[in-house]
Amino acid sequence: MKVYTQNDKVKIKLKVNGEEQEVEVEPRRLLVHVLRDLGYTGVHVGCDTSNCGACTVILNGKSVKSCTLLAVEADGSEILTIEGMAKDGKLHPIQEAFWEKHGLQCGYCTPGMILQAYWFLKHNQNPTEQEIREGISGNLCRCTGYQNIVEAIKLAAEKIRQNPQEYLRLA
Amino acid sequence: MYPPKFGYVIPESMDEVLEFLEKEQDARPLAGGHSLIPMLKLRIIRPSYLVNIRGLKELHFVNDGKDTVSIGALVTHFELNTNDIINKNVPLLSEAASVVADPQVRNMGTIGGVVSNSDPAADYPASLIALDAIVRIRNRGGVRDVPFSSFQKDVFTTDLKQGELVQEIVIPKLPAYKYRYRKLERRAGDYAIVGVAVLIKMNGEEIEDVRIGLTSVGPKAIRAKEAEELLKGNKPSDELLDKAGEEAMKVSNPTADIRGSVEYKKKMVKVMTKRALKEALER
Ligand SMILES: Cc1cc2nc3c(=O)[nH]c(=O)nc-3n(C[C@H](O)[C@H](O)[C@H](O)COP(=O)(O)OP(=O)(O)OC[C@H]3O[C@@H](n4cnc5c(N)ncnc54)[C@H](O)[C@@H]3O)c2cc1C
Ligand code: FES
Ligand code: FES
Repeated sequence: MKVYTQNDKVKIKLKVNGEEQEVEVEPRRLLVHVLRDLGYTGVHVGCDTSNCGACTVILNGKSVKSCTLLAVEADGSEILTIEGMAKDGKLHPIQEAFWEKHGLQCGYCTPGMILQAYWFLKHNQNPTEQEIREGISGNLCRCTGYQNIVEAIKLAAEKIRQNPQEYLRLA
Repeated sequence: MYPPKFGYVIPESMDEVLEFLEKEQDARPLAGGHSLIPMLKLRIIRPSYLVNIRGLKELHFVNDGKDTVSIGALVTHFELNTNDIINKNVPLLSEAASVVADPQVRNMGTIGGVVSNSDPAADYPASLIALDAIVRIRNRGGVRDVPFSSFQKDVFTTDLKQGELVQEIVIPKLPAYKYRYRKLERRAGDYAIVGVAVLIKMNGEEIEDVRIGLTSVGPKAIRAKEAEELLKGNKPSDELLDKAGEEAMKVSNPTADIRGSVEYKKKMVKVMTKRALKEALER
């Protein structure tokens, strides 16, 4: 059993987008802040109250809101952020689809939307419109009215169906 | 918003957890953290230590017994919704799991966390009280079983004592029952304004047995017993379902908040109870 007092720092290891990271954190530090401090600033803080999904990352294969997770809980885990989606200068098909369908305006919600879409499409590559809407119900967008985001995810599903092994192996 | 300072414990066994929780006054177990961390950020609570129980395999299982299904405390909402054993034997709970919060929260939040937290607006309590679920509690002395109806005491208050954990929820199988969980929400992913769970067993044209659980309309989940009695032994009709809704409304005791006034919520108990009954019968 390891016991850390409130003033102790805990050494944690994270593998973010394939990069090994080691940091010392207070038990109360939130994962979102640690990721941002490490330079993964595509992880956004929107509401800070677990509602908006702008801070969504993939943690050990599951989409989670990183503002509602302690960094110490993530010790030893693999994390995917928006910075890890494009490979060799080529956008991921979900990113391409957001571009092609104008699935963003200001872009604040976009990293979270794309990562949530990634997790959702991993579980369902033939989604109906209703399923897509439910799949992103934990992500708020104050600009687009969602229509083009939904269109983008439909297109992304089409693209991914052509080569799911390749496109869904990131996390 | 930053949580206040607290210590952090990574246990290696159940025994270590129970021992630590027993001796450390304000220590709390950390499961999915999706009620705990928001409360920390709002500084509503100030625990001395968080004990991360997420790694305890003994709390993460679904067992298909002869007459019951046992669900370990660490089973997440996503798993409840997608697990084959639960889908087959306790479809009411799977249906409830599909409307708890949003997909990301469902990836983290656990049934043990919901039950221990005893938030009056949580979804599962309506189903758990209708199913006559048992909460199996673990402490240093062993386990003790408490019916869910007496486990929940009041708003954010349960029968758990210091040094105790919820180990699992034991649910009787009710294969002959039709079911429906109906949640009224103001926006997708929000807590329920009114939540109604129903289980109905038919005998030919007549309702042989019916259970109606209500959540989010009082300090804890309740059964609408008068409505149940009214329905039993009768042939369902539009008029009868209306009356049952009326009876359910009478036992509800909601408070006014941003989601609605008392009057509105009471009316919605009537409407949602009728809808849940109707939709269960149509299954
Ligand atoms: C944005 C948002 C929306 C939500 N919407 C809904 C909703 O619509 N419906 C709904 O029902 N819920 C909702 N929730 C709550 C969510 O379901 C939580 O996951 C759940 O209430 C708590 O589970 P947890 O595993 O996260 O528990 P935690 O937050 O880890 O713990 C909650 C409490 O229970 C204690 N505890 C946890 N596990 C145990 C155990 N095994 N034994 C003893 N004590 C234990 C903890 O110490 C703590 O006091 C929402 C949460 C968020 C953040
Ligand atoms: S910042 Fe995490 S959900 Fe909004
Ligand atoms: S594009 Fe601006 S918040 Fe979604």
